[in-house]
Amino acid sequence: MKSALTWEILAKCSTTKARAAVLTLPHGVVNAPVFMPVGTQGTLKGITPDQIEGLGCQIMLNNTYHLGLRPGQELLDACGGAHVFQGWNRNLLTDSGGFQMVSLLKLAEITEQGVQFESPHDGSLMLLTPEHSMSLQNSIGADIMMQLDDVVSSLTEGPRVEEAMWRSIRWLDRCIKAHKKPDSQNLFAIIQGGLDPELRKQCIEEMVKRDTPGYAIGGLSGGEAKDKFWRVVSQCTDLMPKNKPIYCMGVGYAEDLVVCVALGVDMFDCVFPTRTARFGNALTATGTLSLRQAKFKDDFRPIEEGCDCVACKSYTRAYLYTVATKETVGCHLISIHNTAYQLRLMRQMRESIIEDRFPQFIHKFFKDLFVEKSAYPEWAANALRSVGIDILKDDAAK
Amino acid sequence: MSPLTFDIHASKAAAPQSSAARCGTLSTSKPVHGGFTTKRVIETPGCFMYSSKGSVPHLTPDTMRLQDYGGVNVALEQILQSDQPASFSKWPSTPTSPKFTLADYLHLQDLVLFCDLRDFSFSESTSSISSDTATRTSKLNPNTDRHVLLSTPKGVRQLTLDDYLKVVRQFQPDIIAALADNIVDTKESPQKRVRKSIDRTLKWLDQILVERQGGDGRAADRLVEEEKKRRKELKEKRKTMTKEQQQLQHDRDAASDSVAIQPVSTEPWTDVAVFAHVQVSHLEDERIWSAKETAKRDGVDGFILNANVLLSTSNKEEALQQLENSLGYLPSQKPKLVYGIHAPEDVLKAVALGVDLFDTMYPFQLTEDGKASLFYFGESATPGAVAAASTLSSSSTNRWINLWDDEHGDKFVPILDGCECYACKGNRHTRAYINHLLKTHEMLATVLLMSHNMYQYSRFFAAVREAVKTGTIEQHANAFHKTFGVEPIRTGEKHAAQIIVEAALTKRNQRLETAEPAVVDAIGSGDYDAKKRADSEDDADRENKRTRKVQEKEALMEDVA
Repeated sequence: MKSALTWEILAKCSTTKARAAVLTLPHGVVNAPVFMPVGTQGTLKGITPDQIEGLGCQIMLNNTYHLGLRPGQELLDACGGAHVFQGWNRNLLTDSGGFQMVSLLKLAEITEQGVQFESPHDGSLMLLTPEHSMSLQNSIGADIMMQLDDVVSSLTEGPRVEEAMWRSIRWLDRCIKAHKKPDSQNLFAIIQGGLDPELRKQCIEEMVKRDTPGYAIGGLSGGEAKDKFWRVVSQCTDLMPKNKPIYCMGVGYAEDLVVCVALGVDMFDCVFPTRTARFGNALTATGTLSLRQAKFKDDFRPIEEGCDCVACKSYTRAYLYTVATKETVGCHLISIHNTAYQLRLMRQMRESIIEDRFPQFIHKFFKDLFVEKSAYPEWAANALRSVGIDILKDDAAK
Repeated sequence: MSPLTFDIHASKAAAPQSSAARCGTLSTSKPVHGGFTTKRVIETPGCFMYSSKGSVPHLTPDTMRLQDYGGVNVALEQILQSDQPASFSKWPSTPTSPKFTLADYLHLQDLVLFCDLRDFSFSESTSSISSDTATRTSKLNPNTDRHVLLSTPKGVRQLTLDDYLKVVRQFQPDIIAALADNIVDTKESPQKRVRKSIDRTLKWLDQILVERQGGDGRAADRLVEEEKKRRKELKEKRKTMTKEQQQLQHDRDAASDSVAIQPVSTEPWTDVAVFAHVQVSHLEDERIWSAKETAKRDGVDGFILNANVLLSTSNKEEALQQLENSLGYLPSQKPKLVYGIHAPEDVLKAVALGVDLFDTMYPFQLTEDGKASLFYFGESATPGAVAAASTLSSSSTNRWINLWDDEHGDKFVPILDGCECYACKGNRHTRAYINHLLKTHEMLATVLLMSHNMYQYSRFFAAVREAVKTGTIEQHANAFHKTFGVEPIRTGEKHAAQIIVEAALTKRNQRLETAEPAVVDAIGSGDYDAKKRADSEDDADRENKRTRKVQEKEALMEDVA
């Protein structure tokens, strides 16, 4: 199908499956691997568009489900889409609205036609079809839009998983057909198939035939064992086309990002950094600081040495302790820092891939974050061993 | 030599006899540091930015600096920890670089930093009852000769003169309000208590001025303490003595002099300016006494008058007269700051009385209400502002719009056409978008509203200064009144749309309380209430053992909130 993007791989890691690339979208360039902050309702948690740009963010996520409720399709059409609506001139990605429904399963009825569910806001019945999802996303105007997929929890087993996989393929066809703006918006397919390698393989084969501009790995991050999670990711990246961006949905913890990049994933999103910020938790390379703790009362260091975000340039942990979770400014500052942290982590990975020292980066990353090898997550060690890096071995990289 | 300079500009136009309005520039000679190259000045009549816990509400330091205010007012009670001043020893200190002061701590090095003890600007009479902050200025127990009471984030605490002086030496703001016995004045306040507050305030002021020069301002206090101690000891001793011994002892005590006090040398802090609270009671004699006596203290760099005290016992007109009465006794060459005067037309009246400094409570409260100001003054109107004012029907609501109103939901126009604030500039953020942000409980709503309202308020003051210079303030004030009427009384009631949105959220939260975590996770939500939720379980020390799992659980709770 038509594509409104270009994908240029700049460098490949000589050890792992990691790659550095330039993704060019209608609203500008995106340096991959990339983390996309989540601005659910058309705003990133009190951070102004200028501040987000200032952090070097090139693409942000909005949720179709929420924007469909408010401001609603009619207003989005009237103002010319979500970019204009929120004063954001860079790229946007929207989900299909489907992720919300997997979680609303108790309230939802999934048929071939689509998903009917009770609005959690007012209890009214709503029907989300592939056509409706496309229509909404066309009104939003995001640079990347996601197909409506039949999501089942990653803990589900049996024939329901296969049914959902085949239905997702049929729905992809309906999405492609219903997509009105393939010249200015890119439709990504979402690979389903649960934790079953055979189903994943079949799904990829079918979806690749549809030749969408990019592909996402869906149906993960739903509470499955991490050792199963990475195996699915790695299998998918092996089978997916190398000339298109690969997006792993809902992944955002630092160690998950590093592992998934090593497994060949290019794009990520997660609400975690900004959400945890509003509880006063600041992310750093050496771990999370819970700034509400009294031990920071007399700590006159910035959140993170060397961070150039406005929180770190302006304030000490001692001051942030007094405003964290107390003042909206406290939320904004820590959200800004955490977003800066995520984007910096991605930038550092990208640079190390280009300079072909990604393995060294990985060793240092785990050492900084977990200090003791005994604290390294076993699944991460397993995953990285599968791409030729043993983080438990002594200083393999110097 | 005062660290503060207040230049009153010579007026070109002949001001009407009735007006004491003047323009000036308030600046400090302290060198700027902290990576800033220039220190801002305050053009008067002008404002200190109102702050909450050391930050201008809703504005991060970068967004705040898009405003052109020259200074900020920080209430000590909001930032003083319970273990301070004792824990100041833990503040960074290196022998080479300048002392780490409050300006460094709050990252306000480039602004004129004014510190008062309490948040006097925030008055219950002008604030929303439902607001988090409503308890800030609620009545505390009376102050004593030894201390004043502050309402800190961790509860009520006492602040002695000794503490105060340690705080000033560490914080070194550009301007500090002298320790004062500010009382809640009511019609029933006994004259004796009012006089007592004035006497205490003056005594502390004198002691502070001595200490600022490096003198021993507390010698007299220590003498009294020592004398008390000695008497107590004597009393104890006598209990164990026979009659004869007592007689003997008595003779000896009479013969010996009372305790001697060695003056203590103290560290001067002459680069901090001192503003004195002038007590503005509704009792005329006391009011005049306070003004006259405070005016005599040469070391005072400026005066503070809390109009909220007057407004609690008198109507606005009377309060302004009483204010004028106090101002009449104060030296004209020194700056005067007034709390409690916020609405534009009230500011105009106070400026005419010679008041120089105000605060930004007005734009802050508009913001909290979801309102965006449209009013203009004198020559400051953009064509868009004139058009906006002329399209609204009632003059009292010409001055602002409420973005909670449904009618703005589809208005893809900026708050005010031609406005150069961060929100309006380049038509980037529309009324419809802000309406959306309010209705989805998104925090960017107040960021944008605050940016706009603060900007417009500073424009208003710039226009007031211009009118003072050209002698047209009265004429423009009349025109303002004609177009914009008077500020409606702030009821503190929530907008109907806000009530609906909050009720829907509450209802949804109840539905979600029994739901699976994943459901809660998926729905997500505005997080405006997160901070309250977090407050309610604020025992931060308990979190030492937290794991990421716990954090995730909290995150879910947040979404329920």
